[in-house]
Amino acid sequence: MNRPPGPYRLPRGGSALAARAIGAAPVAARRRFRLDREARFGLLLVAPSLLILLLVSTAPLFVLVGASLFHIELTRPWVGGFTGLGNYAAMLGDARFWHSLQITGVYTLTTVVLQVVLGLAFALALVDVRTGQGLLRVAVLLPMILTPVVVGLVWRTLLLTPRYGLLDYLAIATGLGSHSWLGDSTLALASVILMHTWQWTPFVFLVFSASLAALPVEPYEAALVDGASSWQRFRHLTLPLLRPALITVLVVRLIIALRAFDAIYAATGGGPGTATEILNLYAYRVAFNSLNLGYGAALSTALLLLTLGATLAFGRLRSAVEATP
Amino acid sequence: MSRPAWTRTLSGLLRWAALGLALAVWAIPVLWVCATSVKPRTDIFTLPPKLLFAPTLEHYRVALATADIPRSLANSAVVATLTMLLTLAITVPAGYAYARLRFPLRQPLLIYTLFTQMVPPVGFLIPFYLVLSKLRMLDTYPGILLIYLSTTVPFAVWLMTTYFLDVPRELEEAALVDGCSRSGAFLRIALPQVYGGVAVTAILSFINAWNEFIYASVLTGYRVRMAPVAIFGFLTTEETLWGPFAATAVLIMAPVVLLALAAQRRIVRGLTLGAFR
Repeated sequence: MNRPPGPYRLPRGGSALAARAIGAAPVAARRRFRLDREARFGLLLVAPSLLILLLVSTAPLFVLVGASLFHIELTRPWVGGFTGLGNYAAMLGDARFWHSLQITGVYTLTTVVLQVVLGLAFALALVDVRTGQGLLRVAVLLPMILTPVVVGLVWRTLLLTPRYGLLDYLAIATGLGSHSWLGDSTLALASVILMHTWQWTPFVFLVFSASLAALPVEPYEAALVDGASSWQRFRHLTLPLLRPALITVLVVRLIIALRAFDAIYAATGGGPGTATEILNLYAYRVAFNSLNLGYGAALSTALLLLTLGATLAFGRLRSAVEATP
Repeated sequence: MSRPAWTRTLSGLLRWAALGLALAVWAIPVLWVCATSVKPRTDIFTLPPKLLFAPTLEHYRVALATADIPRSLANSAVVATLTMLLTLAITVPAGYAYARLRFPLRQPLLIYTLFTQMVPPVGFLIPFYLVLSKLRMLDTYPGILLIYLSTTVPFAVWLMTTYFLDVPRELEEAALVDGCSRSGAFLRIALPQVYGGVAVTAILSFINAWNEFIYASVLTGYRVRMAPVAIFGFLTTEETLWGPFAATAVLIMAPVVLLALAAQRRIVRGLTLGAFR
């Protein structure tokens, strides 16, 4: 493998032209730029994945930003052309955009907080339960992997339909009374938040269960000897020990909440009116219901910037937390 | 140190209550769909909900007689299987390279790969639509396949990298010393040790493509209609066919559930692995 690089050997795979171009360079420089077999093999193995990602993941971003600078309306193809930042200017004065941003904020924050609190509570409550673990694992796995759009449709019909849905029946039975869960603005937002929480609390539960199982035993034994109460043990041992897991869960959940689309689209389509119209749905509706692709592209770009900003902010938070002892 | 007996009983009861609650909250809605799919039409809209009924396959017959449903299920199966195979062919070698080989820009390229999965799908939808319509590839198998790879490749590369990192490298090093080629060390020594990881990556890629909705709704039409799009046909504004809808929902969810049951422990690990990056 480590053949001595002779001064007259051409770099393998290099064309004669390339060889001539570097022919005058000193041997040391030539050796520095030549990849060894391992590096070439490595690059060969990762090349297909990188090509695919450049093609279907990075190039589209440039197309998106490009499209956001144009006026593209499929219903009125004759109004077209370059508008520069016109779409963005329109966005700033668009009340529906600011409304969708607000809904996105409420939806994201409440679902993330609810998931983390409930997931942690269930993980703590069930940490010592041995019986039924297999059954439990299957039950909590289901909501995460079931087809999200089908989950949304099932909630809309079999669970939340007034008078016939299972949850509405429970509401009647418990005295809350029958409600138009997806027809009323406030209730619809609460319902889709509940649905997303149902789908993704299991994820938080599973991560925290794994972290709890891996906690060291010694500090707890010491705390018991010192007579610490269970609340003190939770507050001063478990919570600090779980902090890294907590921060990572927050970041992952935040990203997934900002990607939410399928279930909410199936359940309400953003309605009633715009009551559950998160930014994702607004961009989709503008682009593919109103067929205004240019403005939709500008909204999507705003969504990307929002995701990027939130991720970077949390990334900094994570490094700050990891830096503190 | 010993707590009074009654607090221990109480905390035991609370644990059982939490277990029961968790099982009920997450399992009942799914079981409810299954029950509705075999309920006679007259029993679906009864209050209180009927728990005892004579099961019937009537709704499955109706669903499968709706031309769109069997065709879209077949479409979904073909596209999801091909996505899975292509994803494996692309990401298993990449995962090995990131885990084992020294090459320039290794770290930045891996971070780039992970970063691409952060983008919300809605952001890609408009460019995909514009480019595919220009190339006349809307509503074609190659078009949707290529796009589904954008959803599976990033996490599959990440999963395969961690699985390869988990197996000891001594065997490969010994083989290399004995004159085995690099590709031989990858294919004959390392790969057989991560078959379990390959299976998880395959299952999660399949589920990802099978469940996908937003791209399918815009980028495919009649010809390549996928099952998650076709199921909307039962819920028009004029009528709501709960029975056939529930039957179709079961048909769509069944493969996912079976795959998950087949490898539940490994899948839980694969799904939560993303949380520890």
